[in-house]
Formats: sequence, C-alpha cells, structure tokens
Amino acid sequence: MGGGGGGAENGEPEFQIAPMIDVLLVLLIFFMSITSAEVLRIDPDIKLPVAPDAKKKEKQIGSEGALNLKWKPGGNKAQFNFQGKDYENFEDIVPVIVSIKQGNDKYRVIIRGDKDLPAKEVQKAMGMLGQAGLENIAFSALNQ
Amino acid sequence: MKRHEDTENVNLGFQIAPMIDVVFVIMLFFMVMAGAVKVEHELKIALPGSATTKGEDVVLPDEITIAIAEDGAVSMNEEEFDTPADKKLPRLTGDLIKLRKDADARGSKVLVTLQTEEQTKYDRIIDVLNAMARAQIANITFTVGSEEP
Repeated sequence: MGGGGGGAENGEPEFQIAPMIDVLLVLLIFFMSITSAEVLRIDPDIKLPVAPDAKKKEKQIGSEGALNLKWKPGGNKAQFNFQGKDYENFEDIVPVIVSIKQGNDKYRVIIRGDKDLPAKEVQKAMGMLGQAGLENIAFSALNQ
Repeated sequence: MKRHEDTENVNLGFQIAPMIDVVFVIMLFFMVMAGAVKVEHELKIALPGSATTKGEDVVLPDEITIAIAEDGAVSMNEEEFDTPADKKLPRLTGDLIKLRKDADARGSKVLVTLQTEEQTKYDRIIDVLNAMARAQIANITFTVGSEEP
C-alpha cells in the first residue's frame, strides 16, 4: 500500500501519534491565548454592569486613565479612585488629569462604576472630567 | 556483560501517553475557561465641548430624549417603552434602529439626550446605552435631574 496513510504492511492504517500531538499543541496554544488575552484588571469591589452589544475595549496603553467609582450599599457617597489612588475629594483629580492631558492631547478616561451606583455620582464624575477639559469618555461594562 | 544488557532494556525514554493525558486535561481546562472569560467592553459618550465646523453645510441632527426613571422605567419622547425589569429593551432598540435608518437615509444623524433621575441605577443607564450601541447610535449626551427648575 503506497501513500502516506499509515504505512502498515498488512494494509491497515495505523494511528499516527506525531500529527496528533501537533494538533493538540496547536489547540492548546489557541485556547491558552484566548483565555489569557484579556485579564481583567478591575477593582474586585466594583461589580460592573453587563453590556453585550458594546464595543470591545480598544487598547490605548499610556493614553487612557481609569476612574473607578466604588459604591457601598447604604452609603451616601461614591468613593473615587483614579489610576489606583483613592481621592476623598473628587475635585482633587482635576489638576491630575489636566497635567496628564497637557502632555497627551488624545488622553481619555474610562469610567468603571459599580452597577448600583446612583446616576448623580456618575454626573459628578462626568462634571469633574468636563472641568478637566476631557470631551471623550467611555463607560466600562462586561460582555457577560 | 549480562548486567550491561539489563540496564539497556530499562526504558527511561520519553513517555508519550502520559504527556497526551496531561495535554488533554490542560486543553479541556482552557476550553472551559474560554467560554466563561469576561472581557471589558466600552460605551463611548461625548461630553459637551467646543465643536468646530469647517464652513460646511451643517445638517441638524434628529434629537431624541430618552428618560430613565428611578424605578428603571424607560421612556422615549414621553412614551414609555418596555418594562423596568426588561434588561434587553427590545421595543426601544427596535424603534432606535428605525430612527437611525431613517436619519441615515436623509443624511442626518440621531442625537440622543439621556435624561435620568438622581437615584437611577448606573446598571439601568448601561442597559439603555447598550440598546443604543445595538442601534449603532453614537451621538449621546447625558444629563441627570429634571430640566425644569
């Protein structure tokens, strides 16, 4: 029997282990890459809302800041955290953003708010970003 | 001489079967994890700023106001759509898609003003923004509280 179908002398095709390992490793690498490509670096205290039809987040390393808005049930004030630093008074963030924006005109901020956050706290954040001269902002949500 | 042959017969080589077992287990793990992976998405919004025009004819956009009440009720141009518990907002989405297609046909754009009450949950705002993303409407402004004094 000619050809590359197995090569056993009695004509029975043999199970080839080498191509199977090749395929397995390719599949393994594929699943590893899609699983670890998006590791969420989000504050675990924030439960993000779900928006399956929103666009996937663009990667803009260096020209994007994250504004985390934490909300405790029964609380009366959101906790503002910008780039990993907590701010008691959210207006203190304005000069920080202004100084970043001076060096990077395309700088934008993504708001990561807790799903139980009241709209007035979102408005505070948007007002503050407006004060800092930002025009384009984005709200963060999960795909599922 | 016999002793030498015995050591040669001991198989210390690479074992393929356990390797395949391990690779299968790892692959199954990643396959299962791939289905449950949570990815961050974004909903863009423009804050009121200084828009510049370059001497072109400005086409006025079709303005729509969508209000979200504290209980989650959503109304467009004062007509209520869907139920407060409905997260997918199918009626609102359908109407927004129609409005956007109509505006596209006329060469215009849809401008949505999202008006919410102070205690409206952020989750509900995202539901409405998600409906707009499905309708491919990108021009959104956001206000909190009633416009009336």
